[in-house]
Amino acid sequence: MIKALFSILVFPGLIFVGVLSFFAEFADRKLHARLQNRIGPPWFQPFADFIKLVAKEEIIPKEANSTIFQIAPVFALASVITAFLYIPLWDTRALFSFDGDVIVVLYLLTLPTMAIFIGGWYSTSLFARIGSVRAITQLFAYEIPLFMGILSAALLADTWSLYGITVFYNNHPLFWLSNIIGFFVSLIALMGKLEKVPFDAPEAETEIVAGSFTEYSGRFLALFRLTLDIEMVAGASLLAAVFLPVGLNLPLFARFTIYLAEVLFIVGLIALLRTIFARLRIDQMIRFCWKYMVPLGFIQLLINLVLKGILSR
Amino acid sequence: MDIRRKILTWARIKSPWIIHFNTGACNACDIEIIAALTPRYDLERFGVQLKGAPRHADILVCSGPVTRQIECRLERIYEQMAEPKFVIAVGTCACSGGVFNGCYNIKGGINSVIPVSAYIPGCPASPKAIIDGAVKLLASLKK
Ligand code: SF4
Repeated sequence: MIKALFSILVFPGLIFVGVLSFFAEFADRKLHARLQNRIGPPWFQPFADFIKLVAKEEIIPKEANSTIFQIAPVFALASVITAFLYIPLWDTRALFSFDGDVIVVLYLLTLPTMAIFIGGWYSTSLFARIGSVRAITQLFAYEIPLFMGILSAALLADTWSLYGITVFYNNHPLFWLSNIIGFFVSLIALMGKLEKVPFDAPEAETEIVAGSFTEYSGRFLALFRLTLDIEMVAGASLLAAVFLPVGLNLPLFARFTIYLAEVLFIVGLIALLRTIFARLRIDQMIRFCWKYMVPLGFIQLLINLVLKGILSR
Repeated sequence: MDIRRKILTWARIKSPWIIHFNTGACNACDIEIIAALTPRYDLERFGVQLKGAPRHADILVCSGPVTRQIECRLERIYEQMAEPKFVIAVGTCACSGGVFNGCYNIKGGINSVIPVSAYIPGCPASPKAIIDGAVKLLASLKK
C-alpha cells in the first residue's frame, strides 16, 4: 500500500514526472531560443513560472460555471499522470499494465484536450469559446493519424499491451525500421495534441488572446501549464516506448540514461519543428492532417500488414 | 515562513510576464517596446514573456497619454489583472501627458487613472531604458 502510494506520488509518479516535465519545458524553450539565435531562459525558468503562478490571485469570472471552471485543470492533470503510470519508461514493464493498455493510454492522453475544451467553454469568454472549439476541431484531425501510427506498431507486435510491444521490439530490434513513417506521423500528431506552433490555432495569442486559457489565472493556469508539460513528457515516453525500444537488457543506470536521451531527442525534434514552421490556419491544419497524415498512416498500416503476412508464413 | 516569502519573491522576480497596452501613444513608444522584445535584446533570458491576456500578466506596460476614450478601458484592463500586479509607464507621455498635456481629449499621464510603479521617461524611451526600468522595478521587489 505504502509502496504503491510512493510510486504514484513520488517516483516515478507525480513529483518525478513534474520535475522531469519542467526540465523538458526548459529544454524545449532553450532549444527554441538557440535556434532563433537568442540566449534563452535559464534552467530554473519553468520552476519560477510555476511558483509565481501558484502564488498569484485566482479570478473566477462571475458568468462562469465556477465548479467546472475549477475542476477542469485538476481533471486534465490527473488524466495525464494516470496515463504516465501506464507507459513503460526504462523497463519493459510499466508501473501498472494489463492487456489493452495502449488504447487506454491513448484515450487518457485525449482527456486533457477535452478538459481544456470544457474549461474554456464554461468560462464563457468569447475568446475562450473560440479557442475551445478550435481545440476540439483539431482533435478530430490529429487523433486518427496518431492512433494509426501507434496501433500499426502494435499490430506488427501482435499485442495490445505496451509491455508486449516493448518486449517484441526489444527482441527484434530491426523492426523499428519498418515503423519510421509511423514514428514521424505520430510525432507530428503529438505536436497537434500539445498545441505546439504549427498547430497552435487554439491558443493563437495574436488573434484570440490566449484561447481556452483566456480567463484562467493563478493556480488553475499553473495546473494547465503543468498538464501540457507532463503531456509532452508522457507523449515522448510513449513514442520512445513504442518506436525506440533500444537497450532494454542493459543495467538499470544505462537504461535510465537511454530513456532520458530518447525523451530529450523527441523534445528536441518538437522544438526544431516548432521553430521552422509558422502557425497554420485551422482549416489548413485539418486539410493537412486528412490529406497527408492519414494516407501516410494507411501506408504504414499496409506495410505492417504485409510484413506480418510474410512473417507468419 | 520567512523562507516561503523568499522563494515567492525570487519566483516573482524571475518570471515577470508583461502585457502591452497602448493608451493613446503616437506609436513610437510601442515600436520601442516591441524592439525590446526582439531576439536582439532577448528578454526571455530574464524570464519576461509577452502575454496576450491580462489575466496571465504581472506587469502592465502602458505607453502614451490616457485619452478620454481609453480611460475606462484602461481601468477595466487593470481590474482584470490578478494580484500582485504592477504598472510601468513607458515614455514621457505616459509619465505626465507630455506634449499632449492640456489637449481637449487627454486626461493626463497613466497615474491620473491607475497607480503606477515605475516611470520610464524618453521620447520615445529606448529599449535599453525600458529594460533598465523593468530591472529596477523588479529589484525594488526585494525590499
Ligand atoms: S513619449 Fe514621445 S514617442 Fe512616446 S508616445 Fe509620447 S510623443 Fe510618442
